[in-house]
Amino acid sequence: MDADIVCVGFGPATGGFLTTLTRALMNPDGTPAFESKVMPGMPLQIMCYERADDIGFGVSGVVTKGRAIRDSFPGVDLAKEIPNAAETGHETVAYLFDPVGASRRTASTKFMDGAFKAGGCIMHKGPHGVELPWIPPFLRKEPGLVMSMGSFMSWVGNQLMGTGLVQIWPGTPVSAPVMEGDRVVGVRLADQGVDKKGSPEAAFMPGMDIHARLTVVADGPVGAVGRKLDRHFGLPEGNHQHDWAVGMKAVVELPASCDLKPGTVIHTLGYPEPEIFGFLYVYPDRTASLGIFVPSWMDTPIRTSYRYLQHWMMHPYIWRYLEGGTLRSWGAKSLQESGVRGEPFLVGDGFARIGEGSGTTNVLTNSGVDEAWRSGVLLAEGVIELLKRDAEFTKATLTGTYVRRRRADALDSELQVAKKARDGFQKNFMMGLMGTGMTGITNGALNLSVESCPPSQRIPPLESVCSGRLTPAKLAETVEACAKAKQPLHDALMTLAGWPEIPFDGTLLMSHQDVLFKGGKVQAAGGFADHVTFARPELCATCRERTCIEICSAQALMPGEEGATPEFDREKCIHCGACIWSCSKALPEDRERANIEFTAGSGGLHSNEN
Amino acid sequence: MAKIFALLHTESDGSLPKAARETLAAAVNLAAQTGGALTVGVLGAGAAAAADAVAGCGAAAFITVGDHAVAHPRYATDAAAATALVQAAGAEIVLAPNTSRFARCLPGAAHRVGAQIDTHIVAVGGEGGAVHAQRWFYRQRILGSFSRTARPWMLLVDGGVCPAWQGPAGTANAQEVPVAFTAEDQRTTVKGVQAPAADAQTIRPDAVLLFVAGAGWTKKQKDGQAHIGDAGVLIQGFLRSAKASLGSSKSLVDIQSEGQETLSFMSHMNQVGQTGSTPRHAKGLATCCHGEEPHAVGWRFINERRAVNLDPNCGWAQGKADVVYVADAFEVITKVNALLNA
Amino acid sequence: MTNGFQIVVCGSLVPDPLQTLEPVTTPQGPGLKNETMLPSVLDPWAAHALFEAANLAKQIAGSKVWLVSLGPKAKLQQLMMTVAQKAPFELVAIDGSASGFTDAHGVAAALADAIGAIPGLDKSRLLLFGGCASASRDASVTLQLVGERLGIRDQFVGVDEIKVQADGSFSILERIEGGQYLSSTCQAAPAVLAWATGNLPEPPNNPQIGMANMRGVMPALQKAKPAAVGVGGIAYEKTEIPAQKRQTRIVKDATADEIAREIVEWIRS
Repeated sequence: MDADIVCVGFGPATGGFLTTLTRALMNPDGTPAFESKVMPGMPLQIMCYERADDIGFGVSGVVTKGRAIRDSFPGVDLAKEIPNAAETGHETVAYLFDPVGASRRTASTKFMDGAFKAGGCIMHKGPHGVELPWIPPFLRKEPGLVMSMGSFMSWVGNQLMGTGLVQIWPGTPVSAPVMEGDRVVGVRLADQGVDKKGSPEAAFMPGMDIHARLTVVADGPVGAVGRKLDRHFGLPEGNHQHDWAVGMKAVVELPASCDLKPGTVIHTLGYPEPEIFGFLYVYPDRTASLGIFVPSWMDTPIRTSYRYLQHWMMHPYIWRYLEGGTLRSWGAKSLQESGVRGEPFLVGDGFARIGEGSGTTNVLTNSGVDEAWRSGVLLAEGVIELLKRDAEFTKATLTGTYVRRRRADALDSELQVAKKARDGFQKNFMMGLMGTGMTGITNGALNLSVESCPPSQRIPPLESVCSGRLTPAKLAETVEACAKAKQPLHDALMTLAGWPEIPFDGTLLMSHQDVLFKGGKVQAAGGFADHVTFARPELCATCRERTCIEICSAQALMPGEEGATPEFDREKCIHCGACIWSCSKALPEDRERANIEFTAGSGGLHSNEN
Repeated sequence: MAKIFALLHTESDGSLPKAARETLAAAVNLAAQTGGALTVGVLGAGAAAAADAVAGCGAAAFITVGDHAVAHPRYATDAAAATALVQAAGAEIVLAPNTSRFARCLPGAAHRVGAQIDTHIVAVGGEGGAVHAQRWFYRQRILGSFSRTARPWMLLVDGGVCPAWQGPAGTANAQEVPVAFTAEDQRTTVKGVQAPAADAQTIRPDAVLLFVAGAGWTKKQKDGQAHIGDAGVLIQGFLRSAKASLGSSKSLVDIQSEGQETLSFMSHMNQVGQTGSTPRHAKGLATCCHGEEPHAVGWRFINERRAVNLDPNCGWAQGKADVVYVADAFEVITKVNALLNA
Repeated sequence: MTNGFQIVVCGSLVPDPLQTLEPVTTPQGPGLKNETMLPSVLDPWAAHALFEAANLAKQIAGSKVWLVSLGPKAKLQQLMMTVAQKAPFELVAIDGSASGFTDAHGVAAALADAIGAIPGLDKSRLLLFGGCASASRDASVTLQLVGERLGIRDQFVGVDEIKVQADGSFSILERIEGGQYLSSTCQAAPAVLAWATGNLPEPPNNPQIGMANMRGVMPALQKAKPAAVGVGGIAYEKTEIPAQKRQTRIVKDATADEIAREIVEWIRS
């Protein structure tokens, strides 16, 4: 099948791209401004393929200054138009102390605890926490928007489809770029009608090739097309993608007693582990989006985001708002936290990259959505210029239009300022905070930089993580018991470390399995192959940390037979991609890569209010 | 004073199905509540004899269509007969059982007599001229109470809502209503009823117990292997011994349609829940099920509910079952079968 | 069959079945909380009807499929993104409420009007398809009422199978009580088939079908006529989710033997 432009992934970057592009496709007299080259006589044929089962499924609540987004919709009151959106209101950053005594607090964290406790006399105190008296300007999101990305993307998608100028197809995973040498000539859709291993069954339909003059790669940091291009081209000299986090979030209907106003923004640090940051954004109608970030530099294989999320929710500082509420929806997503340092080659013959996978996340301001949107807008402006010149989409023409615009834009200069803001976290939590502060206050002139390594190489063995808390014998006994019961380790180890059991109530606090049923249930249409496999199964046999299982947001990866690879349940996967960067087994042939193969898959979350 | 009409049909053997007697009971109650006059109409094979069987219900009049054209369920002839009966009765409120036969033909009859129609009625009552009804919306997830002022109003009453009418037979002196069936009405020929294959005979609406099987039966068990063959033997053994009806969760049925190895005697017909049926049984035993509210609607009309499940926090069971046994269903059902057969 | 069938499938959107639903009262009558935001899918039974229609049209040369959908235009548009890759059809859109609390009589009238207005429709070739109920209104009467309005006197409800003979007659299996089927034959179209699940799996997403369908979908949405459907003659007194929470007794550390004994006692009680 042929198209003029094919986009991979429908997130904010593609939203910005298509919103800008479609406005240039019609002449004022209603005739098409550009003719299709693949279907002469027809208007430009533009396709967008999205992996998730509907547009806006499975993304997150955000707070954003929304400068680029607002620029795209002049005169539109977005907070009114978009469901689940509000103008940013009161912002708070709270440092949370550990009320249960189980948090991994190092000497430096304890020092910080002490400092914040001492500072409590000048700071506003909350239950087991203090609020910073002042939020640095680089972190402020006011004026801005608190919104549900799901609702926003649904809204944008409807606007776009309503123009009739572009087709957006959800439920359609794209497995790979179609390449001729270094040239991208289109994309290949995932095979359908295959078994777990990908072998054809009765209803086999091989993934179709969609040939396009321009392929817009916007499938995010764990997208199959972007990652395949990275593997083909490598990254520009000096760049790396070593820093990641998984954001696990929930949408909660707040109890009637909660008086938080729409637009309220709360960010937390310090708890449940020092490395885990939390957020709570209040939507209209007494609904909140909340969650935590578990970063790749949290040096432990025990990374179970779900249990940590529950402990965070139950922290008295947060719980006072949530108690009596109802969990409506839930999800998780990997964030590429290397920011501009993870920037790949932005263009090549026949393709351009936008959005998070193109390194747009600003790791100083903790902002990514608006930046992703902006990159899409910039590409669209470049594409419109090329269409007007009737030029082909080559590396040279795209460099001269899109890349040139991107480099000249505030987007890029702000990303450069932010480039080294997070480096300190490679060392530890306190250095990280100091580094971010230094970068922020000096506008990037001074940074706290350290060497970084791929995440696979910084996951410590279980023994060192548990030393001082568990005897080697107790650890060995627990590992064996969990292996026998085919259960992940984290629950047992966290309980042994002193974390209290979660008192499930079935409404706000529920088992990990039950949360998969919230917000429309995690599901996957039949007929697709497993999209999580292991490059070298023999490496799994030597793995004791099994961080892929521990981090798995949805218990889709579970212990398998002894000595075998973990077992993958495609129907539970929410495509967060945390397994990719949580694998501790680097491949011998490429130490930057670990043992997980993560390809294009169908299904996942079915909630659009995240 | 409302003119209440109980419209019933016979089975092909001339008997009245239980659902018809239940509807009759509801109509008798409604007539008493509203002070209305009750007429009973019967269509189908042996209609006059069937009217005699319920002659003691207190109806003021009995009318029938027993023409051989309505010996078998067929839309066109049934709709024509029902239309004639409703018109002959001068009915304002029509109560009829929500059987497959009436669910097929009465909407058309309602249209022909200018009536409004509601089906799946789970409660009906009235006072004076007003009649109120209840039915579920969004597949048993939201219960609506409502009324209509337009007449005639047809209400198709679900099975199990009212105890079946019981009373003396007698002579109903039923009046046969003539219906001019046309050749056009008979373009469809009923060939008969296909019973499910012997090994698939797992749906027993009259069973006391509903056995709900979940997808867990087909998943890997403790030893890392799936034991689908064993699961099939256990489930069918249980159904035989306990004389239970079989229901299935959606995921188990879906696995089937995706062509994975699964339980051969199970089909979409067994599915209960949001996109399946909502059967009525006195007891229900759910095994290896894991699901949320939309699935749990499958046992909304099960009075006593128990579940065997490995996860004590399972949303399917918590707060929805009376007892949850946290155990391996393979082990438990093996023992249960042994005890039942002992 | 010389000319093939003209298969008109009635089907619209319902909330994604696994979403949480909560009734609310609106000025227009009962509704659902966050109704406009709930993700929707094509009604599951109507979807089976559509897949069966596409399958039938593929087998019998000269056949064509229409999908007639009544729903809010913007939501129909979004629905088409997930439906239009599944099967070839021409959309007839009607702009109106898709709420489960709308009255089936009004909906049937709007659908019949829209079907009657399809250019070139030949009643002698018409098969009217749809679900035997919807997952929203669940009235189980709409399709029969549409059929009556169109003067179709052969109707089948709870259909799981149609087999067409060479002379254009066809045999049908309808679900009836007790897991049984009623088997019938019908001489010829027109007929109404209100489907249960049928026997076909959901077709894969086919981008070529999607691209072809979409050329007609956007114009159809732009042409969508408004239909004033609402609660009609129904006076709602209450819509509620009855509290069904039970005090669950959890038996945790019993042996399989103990549990089996208790279950058997309970079964026999």
